[in-house]
Amino acid sequence: MFDILIKGGTIVDGSGAPGFTGDVAVQDGRIAAVGATVAGEAHRTFDATGRIVAPGFIDPHTHFDVQLLWDGAAKPALEHGITCVVPGNCSLSLAPLKAEDRKGLVGMFQQIEEMPPEAFTEAFDWTWEDFAGYRDAIAKTLQLNVAPLVGHSVIRLWVMGADAQKRAARPDEVAAMQALLRQCLEAGAVGLSTSFVDVDENGHPVPSRFASFDELDALCAVLGERGRMLQIVPEFYATDITLARIDQLAELSIKHTIPTTFSPLFDNNGTPDNAPRALARVEEQFARGARVWPQMQTRPIDISFSLLRPSLFFSRLPRWVRVLRLPLAERLAALANPAIADKMVEDAGPDGGMAMMGELVLRGGDAAPAELAGHTLADIAAERGESPARALINLSLEHGLDVAFLAASRGHDATDRIGPMLASPFVHIGASDGGAHLASFATYGDTGYLFSEFVRKSGALSLEAAVKKITSDTAEIWGLKDRGLLQAGKAADIVVFDEGAIGRGAERPQFDMPGDGMRYVRDAIGIEAVVVNGQMAWEGGAYTEARAGRICELA
Amino acid sequence: MTAAVAHVEPAPGLDDAFVVAAEIVAGHDGAAELMVRLRHGNGALSSVTLDPETGFDLLRAAGASSLDGLVGQRWSQITRGLWER
Repeated sequence: MFDILIKGGTIVDGSGAPGFTGDVAVQDGRIAAVGATVAGEAHRTFDATGRIVAPGFIDPHTHFDVQLLWDGAAKPALEHGITCVVPGNCSLSLAPLKAEDRKGLVGMFQQIEEMPPEAFTEAFDWTWEDFAGYRDAIAKTLQLNVAPLVGHSVIRLWVMGADAQKRAARPDEVAAMQALLRQCLEAGAVGLSTSFVDVDENGHPVPSRFASFDELDALCAVLGERGRMLQIVPEFYATDITLARIDQLAELSIKHTIPTTFSPLFDNNGTPDNAPRALARVEEQFARGARVWPQMQTRPIDISFSLLRPSLFFSRLPRWVRVLRLPLAERLAALANPAIADKMVEDAGPDGGMAMMGELVLRGGDAAPAELAGHTLADIAAERGESPARALINLSLEHGLDVAFLAASRGHDATDRIGPMLASPFVHIGASDGGAHLASFATYGDTGYLFSEFVRKSGALSLEAAVKKITSDTAEIWGLKDRGLLQAGKAADIVVFDEGAIGRGAERPQFDMPGDGMRYVRDAIGIEAVVVNGQMAWEGGAYTEARAGRICELA
Repeated sequence: MTAAVAHVEPAPGLDDAFVVAAEIVAGHDGAAELMVRLRHGNGALSSVTLDPETGFDLLRAAGASSLDGLVGQRWSQITRGLWER
């Protein structure tokens, strides 16, 4: 008898082949059968009529390292249909790490990924130092699958201590790093992550940035023993340097026979040639036999700010620039001064700032009344009988300037350019940063947006192609064994969704981080069921008790 | 969608770059960043994107009260003021 029989859905199996109506049978954690009709009984039959049945989605760029210690579902990732995540990106992982180095690493995580301190002090017992210890700590309660990277910065910290943030490594230290990386790979790490751009909470470059190329080359030699991934964060804001990094990755990929990936690659409205230039270089290097996968996120970038900190959003308005650069106490006083506020409103234009500020959305999760969250400044201003500029100033003053505003889709938002790039065989859909930037923006829902924007709305990808991109393509790029396809014998990671509805909800604040910390999230839309390793993990809007997630086996 | 910008085309020198446009762009972390377009002495165009703190420092170094005040300025001159801070 099957464990689960999913009947009558449109099976989009992750291979890119056209969908067909049929059944998927699950037994002992594996896909037992896929076909137009699968005969047999099951402990549980799920009617998927009118729904898509696809492999579970895989998110290759996350920072769920900490969250997985208390939340095996990496919420809300699982309910968006994600059945596998890759944490440990950008040179930062939680192991291997000596106890005396924990404070420093926590500072880096807080600075770079905006995680609250309580996440590290209240939510779990830090019992491990080695990678196997961390792996075991998260494996106990996993509800989805994990393929963890090991961070270059922590490897340097282990071997060099404080010198990791001061200098290049000596040859003996490089050899020690190689041995340590080998241990981590043996313990299940999917590869190594490094960063060329990040700084810690003191503005000091993270340890990986002090590495010589020879050190990285030596570590890649170890990756090459198993064909494991090198992930990097290049200088993504400077195209010419990104091109140089692509070339570097290509040399490492060819020399050591390893896959490499860099994240992020953004489209830029002001310089629309930048991303195509990078992709052209990627394509050249693939033709030479290198594997250099650029990760591109699906979601647009929003601008967010409050008047608590100076924001360049107002940098066309001289009086706003002058006031917002004042120290906080003087800033408050200036904003509260009617003569100054009048001049600032005048600066915003004869329309009272409607063109510039009217579409700003109040985000919530701050000191403003919760009922205003999600409303535009134009609507709020109209209710108050004020111009948008005046309302922005007054609302901010009424709540100690702790009112967060959002200007939606101000970057990476040109669907007509981004769609074809996402569809390119040389682009790896990822870069979500799931689990990071908690207080700045929601990093969830990218998979839903792929379908709503780039399949339904623009048609840049077919449904089958989009599913393939975030399932079997990702599994193949990262060497995740038996993941990403609905085929007999593969791991039974399955998502059932409504093709016409799948998307992402509006961004909203949620107070569910340790210490009642706030983060921005997005609810899933259109996901009906998620199966992980053959067990129903999410169904009908609720998580089940299943703890079927695993540390991914690697090919 | 970016903010409207002022475009000015100064007569290019042989060996220097001038700011021809400045606009606000979205940084990957959600902060507004400053993108400056430069025209070099050989006629080539390039762009530089600055994070918020550096963007404000550039405005101050350039003596510019707003983005528009950057346009037409010599890049080497205003960034010299930046490094000297």
